[in-house]
Amino acid sequence: MLQFKLVLLGDSSVGKSSIVHRFVKDSFDELRESTIGAAFLSQTIKIKAEEQEEDVVIKFEIWDTAGQERYKSLAPMYYRNANAALVVYDLTQKDSLVKARSWVEELKNKVGDEDLVIFLVGNKLDLCEGEEDLRAVDTSEAKAYAEEQNLLFTEVSAKTGQGVKEVFRSIGEKLYASKKDEILAKKNRELGNRVNNSVDINAQRPSTNDTTTCCS
Amino acid sequence: MLSPERRPSMAERRPSIFAHALTPLVVPHLAGIEDPLPATTPEKVDVLIAGSGMVESVLAAALAWQGSTVLHIDKNDYYGDTAATLTVDQIKRWVNEINDGKIPYYENAKLYVSTEIGNGKYNSRDFGIDISPKILFTKSDLLSILVKSRVHQYLEFQSLSNFHTYENDSFEKLTNTKQEIFVDQKLPLMTKRNLMKFIKFVLNWEEQPEIWKPFAEKSIAEFLIEKFKLERAQVFELIFSIGLCYNIETKVPEALQRIRRYLTSFDVYGPFPVLYSKYGGPGELSQGFCRSAAVGGATYKLNETLVSYNATTKEAVFADGSKVSVMEKVIMSPTQVNQNSKNVPEQPYQIHRLTCIVEKDCKEWFSEGESAAMVVFPPGSLKSGNKQVVQAFILGAGSECCPSGTSIWYMSTTEQGVRAEMDLDAALEAMELSILRESSTDLENDNDIVQFGMNGQTVVNSVRLGQSFKEYVPREKVHFLCKLYYTQYTSTPPFGVVDPSLFEKNVVSDKFIPGASDNGVLYTSMPSAEISYDEVVTAAKVLYEKIVGSDDDFFDVDFEDDDDTQAGPADNSNYENAIDDEDEDDDMGMGKNESTEFVGEMEI
Repeated sequence: MLQFKLVLLGDSSVGKSSIVHRFVKDSFDELRESTIGAAFLSQTIKIKAEEQEEDVVIKFEIWDTAGQERYKSLAPMYYRNANAALVVYDLTQKDSLVKARSWVEELKNKVGDEDLVIFLVGNKLDLCEGEEDLRAVDTSEAKAYAEEQNLLFTEVSAKTGQGVKEVFRSIGEKLYASKKDEILAKKNRELGNRVNNSVDINAQRPSTNDTTTCCS
Repeated sequence: MLSPERRPSMAERRPSIFAHALTPLVVPHLAGIEDPLPATTPEKVDVLIAGSGMVESVLAAALAWQGSTVLHIDKNDYYGDTAATLTVDQIKRWVNEINDGKIPYYENAKLYVSTEIGNGKYNSRDFGIDISPKILFTKSDLLSILVKSRVHQYLEFQSLSNFHTYENDSFEKLTNTKQEIFVDQKLPLMTKRNLMKFIKFVLNWEEQPEIWKPFAEKSIAEFLIEKFKLERAQVFELIFSIGLCYNIETKVPEALQRIRRYLTSFDVYGPFPVLYSKYGGPGELSQGFCRSAAVGGATYKLNETLVSYNATTKEAVFADGSKVSVMEKVIMSPTQVNQNSKNVPEQPYQIHRLTCIVEKDCKEWFSEGESAAMVVFPPGSLKSGNKQVVQAFILGAGSECCPSGTSIWYMSTTEQGVRAEMDLDAALEAMELSILRESSTDLENDNDIVQFGMNGQTVVNSVRLGQSFKEYVPREKVHFLCKLYYTQYTSTPPFGVVDPSLFEKNVVSDKFIPGASDNGVLYTSMPSAEISYDEVVTAAKVLYEKIVGSDDDFFDVDFEDDDDTQAGPADNSNYENAIDDEDEDDDMGMGKNESTEFVGEMEI
């Protein structure tokens, strides 16, 4: 299994959380991993890879902003080692694409990884259909910007689920393609971690109500 | 257990989904995700916290998960405050701000930065410099909270097993495990026996008052020499490297507690007593707790200064003109004050620090596969004739705090006044000389110095090195990329054992000073000189209790999807397990029979 960190960005109320919510909950039955309350959401997908006989299983570790983006107060920890980012804007809010652009800039500043996959996502597509079309951002405008910046781009509806799964699937495929060599060398991230000598403090955790520490 | 006088927590008083607080809180599935936060600045909060250092961040997370509405601000544009991990550019700014008097309780900041950072080989953000570096004992209250709160999932920890004592002009590797005591060729049999006897005693020292009570008011050195017939080298190792005490006068009970802290932490996760977090120490941990608080519902605002708080109207006013009503309490770090703050507790104790970035990987000081070491300079070991210990914490590139080929040396002392800088300079000189000798290729072919351990790894014989060093004149110089001196003030004395009373003085704020902008504000404590995180949870709990009324539900939170499939080892309530287990560990470099034999012989 490959594991990638995915972060969400975009202004408050563009629907970042609901996209993830849709992705994680919708795929519940088919794929087993669900959530971790306080830390981040996890979801696995399977993608087909050319030279491999079996499907490649990709686990996304999805970090939501937890509201810390509101006053530009995201911590460096949030961006660190991110492999992919969803930059979300609201199709019905004219200035939200402008703000998305500044998030893309922020990402490029904060994340060192040149292979970082950025997906520009216009949300609330369901509000842009039928008679009461509330669309305020043209598809062509966003698309041109995405091409110029080399971003993946699509429009989705978290409400109806339209396009949501595909976003994560393309990210998975793109990450797999760009990290293939590295992955084959290292096999997976766990192995990499062991080489790094990281210590899993949960794996052999001491009793949490231990009264024997010197400082209790 | 809930104490009878416990007042209901805010969560219990407020009708909310958290209302069933008598049982541990259950965090709903998708908490923080399913229920997006309101889009506007809150007009009313339960608690306002200014400053995002360790204590404030742990407190914010504890309160958020308890159900309080928390607004957490920091006047800086970065997280961490007194615990921050900064890039070189941020350090430059920080030093200027200190010297402009904009960051209270820090002074005498002096900085040298090589032009190679920024314009040359290295980037400013290749480095993460902790302004109060810390190590985490594996058996400690903070570690338990990291696991319980799941904040550990945001972090990556690495082990540190190499503790050195600087003696006779060289770094002696600690002899701290039974195996090492057995195999150490230098130790006479009698010393081994005495050392074993002491280790056995210290693990359960409270139960044996007949041994230590007569020495209760005496120094630990006296006790070790008189009662256990230990020799100076072992005494110094026990007090300063294992116990991490500050001076030779440390009293018996405090020192025993600190020595045991090391020994019981050893082998909880492996053959090492402490961990440190990658990418930066308390700077990372505080970010982790802040994120946890945010997921729990706290609002975060960097770049925000609290201008005043009116305890009567409960109104807090910020520098940008915004206001908020604070229903319960305002908590503030002394670094976040403004000119009219008049209630800040006195901060009489100095901590002097010298932090260097060195263009050397310093792997000679690290254990195989590790990237960090502790070096302790006991009193009297330095040219300056130091009376207090100088502690040095060294981080290599594996910590991701500095690029490959470099390392960061954090030195600190509890010495007060002008002597402190002399001690730090002397320690730096000693370290410089040591690393030049140890990394010098001149000595490479000396078979007596490089030996092969049982597992085939090379072991440096530091005694031999020490002897060779005496005649060694380095041909090169250590190249410093950065050198940073500063003094920090704190209200917390260099303590022996963490006690809540250490922090009580920070929270008594019932007096009313006319014209003060901070009447009714509770102050947190500045970090002490302590190299471990030991004070953090206790200090946070003292404040938590002031706010909530009791610390019963401090991080009393269970996550819905908690699975217990990863069963941990049984509770190590018997201290001896930690040591006895090692005897059965063949990997440690000795045959089982041999060790059993020794144990028999050592029967006390």
